[in-house]
Amino acid sequence: MTNKRLHVDALVVGGGIAGMQTSLDLGDQGYQVALVEKTASIGGNMVQLSKVFPTLDCASCITTPKMSSVHHHDNIKLLTSSEVQKVTPHGDGFIAEVLLKPTYVNNDTCTGCQKCEEACPVDILDEYDYGFNARRAAYIPFPTAIPYTAVIDMDHCIFCGQCIKACPVPDCIDFNMQPEVIEIETSAIVISTGFKVTPYDAKEEYGAGKFRNVIDGLMMERLLAPTGPYGHVLRPSDGKLPDSIAYVQCAGSRDLTLGVPYCSRVCCMYAIKQAMLLAGALPMADITIYYMDIRTFGKQYEQFYQNAKAMGIEFVKAKVARITEVENQDLNVRVELIDENSQVVERHHDLVVLSVGMLPNYDPQAVFSIDIAEDKFVETPYYHNSPAATTRPGIFAAGTAAGPMDIVDTIVTAGSAAADVAAYIQSHNGHKAETAVETQTTVAERSVDHD
Amino acid sequence: MTYRVDPTFVDELKKYGHVNIEDCFNCGNCTAICPLSTSETPFPRKNIRQAQLGLRENLLESVDPWLCYYCGECTLTCPRQAEPAEAQMAMRRWLTAQYDWTGLARKFYTSKVWEIGAVFFLAAFIVVTFVLFHGPIVTDHVALNTFAPVHLVELGDYVMLVGLSFFLLSNIFRMYLFIVRSDKSLKIPFKLYITEAWQLLYNTVTQIRYAKCDEEEGQSFWEKTRWRNHLIIVSGYGLMFTLVVVFLRWFQTDNYYPIWHPQRWLGYYATIALLFGAGDAIIGRIKKDNEMHKYSHPSDWMFPILLLLTAFTGILLHTFRYLGLPLPTYYTYVIHLAILTPMLVLEVPFGKWAHLAYRPFAIYFEAIKEKAKVLQESQTTADAYAAAD
Repeated sequence: MTNKRLHVDALVVGGGIAGMQTSLDLGDQGYQVALVEKTASIGGNMVQLSKVFPTLDCASCITTPKMSSVHHHDNIKLLTSSEVQKVTPHGDGFIAEVLLKPTYVNNDTCTGCQKCEEACPVDILDEYDYGFNARRAAYIPFPTAIPYTAVIDMDHCIFCGQCIKACPVPDCIDFNMQPEVIEIETSAIVISTGFKVTPYDAKEEYGAGKFRNVIDGLMMERLLAPTGPYGHVLRPSDGKLPDSIAYVQCAGSRDLTLGVPYCSRVCCMYAIKQAMLLAGALPMADITIYYMDIRTFGKQYEQFYQNAKAMGIEFVKAKVARITEVENQDLNVRVELIDENSQVVERHHDLVVLSVGMLPNYDPQAVFSIDIAEDKFVETPYYHNSPAATTRPGIFAAGTAAGPMDIVDTIVTAGSAAADVAAYIQSHNGHKAETAVETQTTVAERSVDHD
Repeated sequence: MTYRVDPTFVDELKKYGHVNIEDCFNCGNCTAICPLSTSETPFPRKNIRQAQLGLRENLLESVDPWLCYYCGECTLTCPRQAEPAEAQMAMRRWLTAQYDWTGLARKFYTSKVWEIGAVFFLAAFIVVTFVLFHGPIVTDHVALNTFAPVHLVELGDYVMLVGLSFFLLSNIFRMYLFIVRSDKSLKIPFKLYITEAWQLLYNTVTQIRYAKCDEEEGQSFWEKTRWRNHLIIVSGYGLMFTLVVVFLRWFQTDNYYPIWHPQRWLGYYATIALLFGAGDAIIGRIKKDNEMHKYSHPSDWMFPILLLLTAFTGILLHTFRYLGLPLPTYYTYVIHLAILTPMLVLEVPFGKWAHLAYRPFAIYFEAIKEKAKVLQESQTTADAYAAAD
């Protein structure tokens, strides 16, 4: 049974940009925070991105310092490879049961030397680069992972023991590591479980998964990223520099056949951003964006769109109906040109990017007893007064867990969730942030009890 | 050019089928996915837009609904689930009602009472006619031609043929006025009407456009199941029609023929093809196993059911005659005609049957228009050069 209990003010579930920002905003105010992340590293989707719109700032230059801050923050206890299994009411707050999944590497002693990674004989497709790259079964998730420690992928491990032999730290790699359950006593909870993209092969008529040169927007982010798999934008089938790249908008949004009737709110802007970056990376390439409507509603977004047009990126009002593979694994895109007298044409491209949309990454109903909305994202019923509040008092939502949004909006909702949590704690158990600051007790020091 | 928007038009169209086009946001997916749509005749979005705006005249002048064969690709992939294929079907019914100047087609499509009432009225008319005017009833052997003298039945045939042709041809003429003559700026050389006439026969016989609907499934004749099945139905229907109208004196006989005689096996082939076709349509509509059969308007049931009953009573009639049962033969004959007559009178000029004429004529008219446009454009260019010289 559980033998450890952690006492915190807020439990943040999900270590993407929303969860990190919420944790930092709360931690900086003196609240004690536990951040629970399912995967082996915090960072979420944003660490995989190349640049952010509309400023074209480097995404990891924003993310990695935040990751590091979270990791080193006195008031934040980071739990990676962990999942909340059960939440029960406790006084004014909650007790959350958290499963610490075994990584088979001792996080406290691992130095991140990568010796095990070098020794491991197993090569498998790397999720971080969406299969454009390979990784080992003993691996560090990605170059800027936090914590920077190795994990062993037991699904692919062949138990050859090479990593144990290579590891310079005694007993660091432990194949017998067991799952552990701890309890976290908290006043409030923030759900920041983020999004996943609509599967790129969901629309059969687009041929993704079947045609190698049909990829999705996140794959293109990796191809464009300086840390990307090829160091250049090459098309997957033959490594050719693409001459003509098509973007298919609403490839996973506003489509009832996929059960996604809503607009994902980011695809127009990320497609425009990628088109601009491609224009820089491949100056000779033609870039066409096929769209139903261009929705550039944020601050400076419309100007961003106009700049892209001025750069020579072609915008065609047309919903792509079908993609067919032709000679050399090039692709034909069949559309009705609505603004050109409804001509039905097949246009030739050598790389097609599907602007896939956003789906919720996690269904919190069973564990957290909060409602989800019709679109399956967390219901935030007091959207105009307390945007982060869910249907259950004390539980809040931040970022794309509550609905499709971009990074700018995610940061805003993370801040508002932190403010909501602070107000909730103050009004319910009279906790003063100053108390926590004054006593200077950190989570690690004060609150790990052994029963 | 001015347009008059009529937002009530969608409600009118809804009487002709399961119309859901208010949900359409005009993305154009339907037109682009359609295997038959071209830059010259882009559909179905154009028609849907016209219907949304209530541009009655534009829709009336449109040939496009007849070029759609309801493969259902557009409905399957429509991101708004606005059912574009069914909208095209409803437009075909609406157009059939508009081409028909008597107003009967509109009544039959929009009122079950009218449709079913007309069937029973015509059936009763046939029964009463036979009750009053039948010939002598011979009971010791089957003498159908004594009961119903073939030259009189043939006369009835011809009266019906002339009457139905009159209605159908006048409707086609109205279709011609709407589709071809509405564009006053287009000058059509008379020669084109002759040189393009092959389209009519060729498309009636081959229904070749339908083959494009099955392209996904395969390239051979047997893999294009919908086109293949439709060809079989039409062959059976055409053959039976020829037998009972042109060759009635040879077909309706009191002679007994051996099985290899063409009078028998031609009839058998046509009957099997009709049973297969009508059965295929009815089973498909019950099971709703493909896009085309997902929604059934009352009028969609009437034609195959009457066809099936006609074939069924025809088989009974034939069986009784060969078994030498005089009275059952005579009764069945009357019932057979009481089903056959409403089927033809209702469906040929006023119902589903009319697509047999409207589809090839639509292709014919479209070909004439396109050729005329090309000629006119080249003439304009030539004139411009001449003027420049």
